Amino acid sequence: MSDVTGKAEKNTVPGTLESRDITKTFGGKAAVDRVTLSLEKGHVYAMLGPNGSGKTTWMKMAAGLIKPTSGLILFESQPVSIESRKKVAYMSTEPYFYSWMSVSDVGLYYQDFFEDFSYDRYTVLLKKMELEETMKTTSLSSGMMAKLKIAVTMARDAAVYMLDEPFNGIDLLARDEIRTAILEYATPDKLLLLSSHLVEEMEAIADRAVFLHHGRLVESVSLEEMREERGLSMADRYRQIYGHGEE
Amino acid sequence: MKHGMSKLLKYEFRKTQASKLILLGLTAVAQLVFLGGLFFRRENAMVTGALVLSFLGVGGILFIGLQSVLTLHRDMNTKQSYMLFMTPNSCYRILGAKVLENGLSILLVGVFFFALGLLDITLLLSSYGELSQLWTFLTDLLHQLNEDIQLNAQNFAAMMFGLIGSWFATVMMAYLADVVSSALLGGRKYNGLLSFALFLALSILLGFLQNLLPGMSPERIILYFMLRAITSIAFSVLIYFISAKIMERYLSV
Amino acid sequence: MQYDANAPIWLQVMSSLELDMVTGKRPPGEKLPGGRDLAVQYGINPNTASRVYQELERKGLCETRRGLGTFVTTDGARLEGLRREMAQRAVSQFLSSMDHLGISRTEAARMILEEEKICQT
Repeated sequence: MSDVTGKAEKNTVPGTLESRDITKTFGGKAAVDRVTLSLEKGHVYAMLGPNGSGKTTWMKMAAGLIKPTSGLILFESQPVSIESRKKVAYMSTEPYFYSWMSVSDVGLYYQDFFEDFSYDRYTVLLKKMELEETMKTTSLSSGMMAKLKIAVTMARDAAVYMLDEPFNGIDLLARDEIRTAILEYATPDKLLLLSSHLVEEMEAIADRAVFLHHGRLVESVSLEEMREERGLSMADRYRQIYGHGEE
Repeated sequence: MKHGMSKLLKYEFRKTQASKLILLGLTAVAQLVFLGGLFFRRENAMVTGALVLSFLGVGGILFIGLQSVLTLHRDMNTKQSYMLFMTPNSCYRILGAKVLENGLSILLVGVFFFALGLLDITLLLSSYGELSQLWTFLTDLLHQLNEDIQLNAQNFAAMMFGLIGSWFATVMMAYLADVVSSALLGGRKYNGLLSFALFLALSILLGFLQNLLPGMSPERIILYFMLRAITSIAFSVLIYFISAKIMERYLSV
Repeated sequence: MQYDANAPIWLQVMSSLELDMVTGKRPPGEKLPGGRDLAVQYGINPNTASRVYQELERKGLCETRRGLGTFVTTDGARLEGLRREMAQRAVSQFLSSMDHLGISRTEAARMILEEEKICQT
């Protein structure tokens, strides 16, 4: 156990996100159960699993919002901390902005707290998403809110972007806009982690998939390899894992 | 990094801005009613204005404290919590901004109403000569009964600081109780009851400690209240560190 | 572009680009979108996009000039070879469908000539 619980090593690997034997329990029930997982930059990961499989909990631990019950969660080989929040951008499923905020207030807030935030880039993204700076966040439809969350998160020049359910409750056209925004910023020095129930939505944009089930890691695979070697799509594998009762 | 702290403070002030503006607006209206009554010799309006002003002063300070506890609760327990806890700021800083904002607000509102009260009493006395005589008569009488009791501004100011200090400490105890409830007892049975018991216990502890201080005596009114204010603030600082430590270690949002 | 999620996506994008080259939609010597642009235009992962160019280059269908970008090959023979290859693939696909329907090669050939006559009249 000493190599797991001991202090992280000194040689850091840029842009990596890693969990070692990590567990988070809520009221005695494990939301994430001994997950060991290593994610690297230059990839777009799809994190998959039904509700309650532990996706959000894992992401929140990586964002430093939830403290693990046991195990380690590392960013660039160092435990996730206040420092890592400067380089790890997290977007939650639910809207979280203060009710008094307008679209421009949201951007100014990010600008106040994140050194890697660019208001210019935010303006460009808002334009693409057809959002006005003067709009009040309380008056946005759920689709517009989803786009706003993406715009403000992607306007950061972070090393890691974790987007929890970016396509939830959004119509087809808005999904295209979001997909484009994601792909435009998926450069080789970035790590993107997306969770979604809409598996088909991510077939083409992700290159790796992480399957979680009841808080456990099922597998982490390369999608093109899976297609070439097994003739399976991500959706096929999803059905295999979660389709008929328990695995 | 002082930079981050000032940003946090800015947004804490922004969260309480609306209620402070409402308080200011109501105060302006009551003050106008009072002044109108004073200049046009309408006693009813004057008394109403004065009563509402006193109510706003006391109620305002109480409300600002309560509101800050509610804001802290929302910032730890709703989706809004991401706004604070996703930023690269430690819990010491996040909570520190809240404590500072609240302390400053209570103090400023207190000083504001104190100054306004002094102004209004001065206006009243200068405009109603007969009241002025009554006031002098009362203070003289008190002075004859006991040479040390003085109804003067210094004593009132000391009393105000003492009371404001106590209220601030009370708000901080509520902070700690809420932090314990959100970070340690979340989802457990009797969560509310336990954290309320903690709040009561802290209040009793502070009361007990302050009773060890020299008691009130006519010649030491200022010292008495200043000591209360200082111990309350020291106690608040201690509570702040404990709360922030608990948040840093255990809070999940 | 819609993809068959069961087949490698790089292969599907590559076929689409090859078709564009053969049909003249992307003529010889034309500049192709950069890797990231290709990813955005086709809605695919950037790693998949670079795989597409790797494979195209390996087949000699495009060439990367340092600092300038990737271009459709100007080698006419290669493009002609690609056209043949794609036609061959279409033919074998057609024939395998005919086999499936139980129609002989001779019968199939006759049907093609028949179809041509109808078109001409």
